[in-house]
Amino acid sequence: MDSVHAPTLTGPGQPSPPDHPPRPQPAGAAGAYTVLAGTLMSLVGVSWDVQWHVDVGPDTFFTLSHLMLYCGSAIAGIASLVMVLRATFAGRVGRPADPTVGGSPVRVFGGTFTAPLGYLVAGTGAALFLLYGLMDLWWHSLYGFDAVLNSPPHVALFISISLTMVGSVIVFAAARAQRWGRIGLVVSIPVLITFTPITTNAFNGVSPAIDPQLAGTVLFAVCFILMGGITLRRRGVALSIAAVLGVMQLFLWWFSPWAAKAYAAHVGLPLRDNLRHMPPQLPSGIPMFMLAAALVIEALLRLGRRRGWSGRWLPQLTGAVGGVVLSFSMLVQTSMLRGGAGAGPMGPSTTSATTVLTDAILGLAFGALAGYLAARFAVLLHLNAPATDQEGR
Amino acid sequence: MHLRTPLPPRPRPARTTRRPLKHRARVLLLALCTIGATILVSAPSAQAYAPVEIVHTEQVQVGPYHLTVGFSKWPLRAMQSLDFTFAPDGGLTGKSGILSMTGPGMQGGMHMGGPLSRHPRKRDVWGLDVRSLSTAGQWSFTFTINGPHGQGTGTLDNITILAQPGPPLALSWTLCTLPVIGLIAFLVVAWRRHRPSRHLTVVGI
Repeated sequence: MDSVHAPTLTGPGQPSPPDHPPRPQPAGAAGAYTVLAGTLMSLVGVSWDVQWHVDVGPDTFFTLSHLMLYCGSAIAGIASLVMVLRATFAGRVGRPADPTVGGSPVRVFGGTFTAPLGYLVAGTGAALFLLYGLMDLWWHSLYGFDAVLNSPPHVALFISISLTMVGSVIVFAAARAQRWGRIGLVVSIPVLITFTPITTNAFNGVSPAIDPQLAGTVLFAVCFILMGGITLRRRGVALSIAAVLGVMQLFLWWFSPWAAKAYAAHVGLPLRDNLRHMPPQLPSGIPMFMLAAALVIEALLRLGRRRGWSGRWLPQLTGAVGGVVLSFSMLVQTSMLRGGAGAGPMGPSTTSATTVLTDAILGLAFGALAGYLAARFAVLLHLNAPATDQEGR
Repeated sequence: MHLRTPLPPRPRPARTTRRPLKHRARVLLLALCTIGATILVSAPSAQAYAPVEIVHTEQVQVGPYHLTVGFSKWPLRAMQSLDFTFAPDGGLTGKSGILSMTGPGMQGGMHMGGPLSRHPRKRDVWGLDVRSLSTAGQWSFTFTINGPHGQGTGTLDNITILAQPGPPLALSWTLCTLPVIGLIAFLVVAWRRHRPSRHLTVVGI
């Protein structure tokens, strides 16, 4: 795979971007939102499926929640393929590639295909999902239908879906000069944030010193929110992303148990005995107080920019403070759900001075790393479609 | 009469054996369809909720209660899921209980388990549906049952779990982390090509 050094790709040492404003791209918006719809379907399907296993149990390869999950990847994959073929045929008839539609064009298979970077990543994720779906089927034939999230093929499937979500973020970031692109970015980032704890679940038990769920939540949530704020360079972006994340959490909190019970009633399966009033598993892992962390991130970014603080350390500082706030908020969230004295739906709380200190250090370290990465990812997103840098402010 | 106008030189294909784009697109679509069809064809056995078929039983005396423990697979293997059933003589009416499972590597009183619940696909007995035991070695199941004859406790010891089936776990994990390795490689290439640390001003910080 090689980047196409066409007049479209601008970066260090490349020609300047054209001055004219970007033309409206209805096909670009349609492709981008179809991929986003696919990732949303995958997210809802996973949350429903996890809740199904908690509340009901019996599993087949073709439960409705599984089908929703597969359809999500299929829709995102087909949309990506269509956009790649569209870019390829446009290149064949001599039309210049437009990096605002999916990002910089990349030559694939020796130039046979010209794939906008975002659609290439999203499509690769969807294709990998198909391949690992096959492996998952083989795994279940060997090990049975044990409902664990952290089996090797399940983790590979979640990573594949995450890749599609990353592709979706790249696609919308490339179209950030247009309103639909900015809205899409503010929605696609929370989808990715919501999905990451499922993957970090694979590291549970690896190290007793670090809680991989918390580390993953701090790293990815802070990184992606900060990346969105830096990429769009507008007021309120971090807060908007956090607000959308909250809306998604509320929806999944209601939908997942409802769908599990409604589907069980439809197929005539009973609910499990001894179901405690636990909060729905996947939505309860999403940060409930992300708005607080986003507020701190937003304030520090604005303060740093206004006072001209060095860009060498502003992202790390912002990330570290945001990480500590998020880490403490997760402590509060867990305590609330566990109910302090043991009266809560998740059993007794285990908060202690050591936990507070460990979580503070974890939030600081992973938050700073998130800040460092966020600024660099934002630069890469800008260089991927530089013609729009002057827009959106 | 034909007027011949000079044509601009056509770009030479990179490879002399290059096939037309449509052909390659067709091959790609065919490959995707083949994978999809393979999943559909190979999966019909996974479309129905499987009945619970017990192939082996063990007996345990839990205080005044006699309990039959059933397994849908035998011998047991690590990580391989199966259905467990726990059937007290006289049925479940008026009885409740707790199951505690201990195995290799569980230290300091660690255990798996919880309240005994009816099996989701066999409602006349208690059970665990498609549950696996993580490690090979000797496991024991301890039952506490409350019922009309009071409380009783009993343990089914020395349940042997053989090694996991299939390829070594390290190989499976290696195969399944390839997408992450690919993503990291992609980021490294983009990082080396654009050196984002040198262009932070691009994003206004």
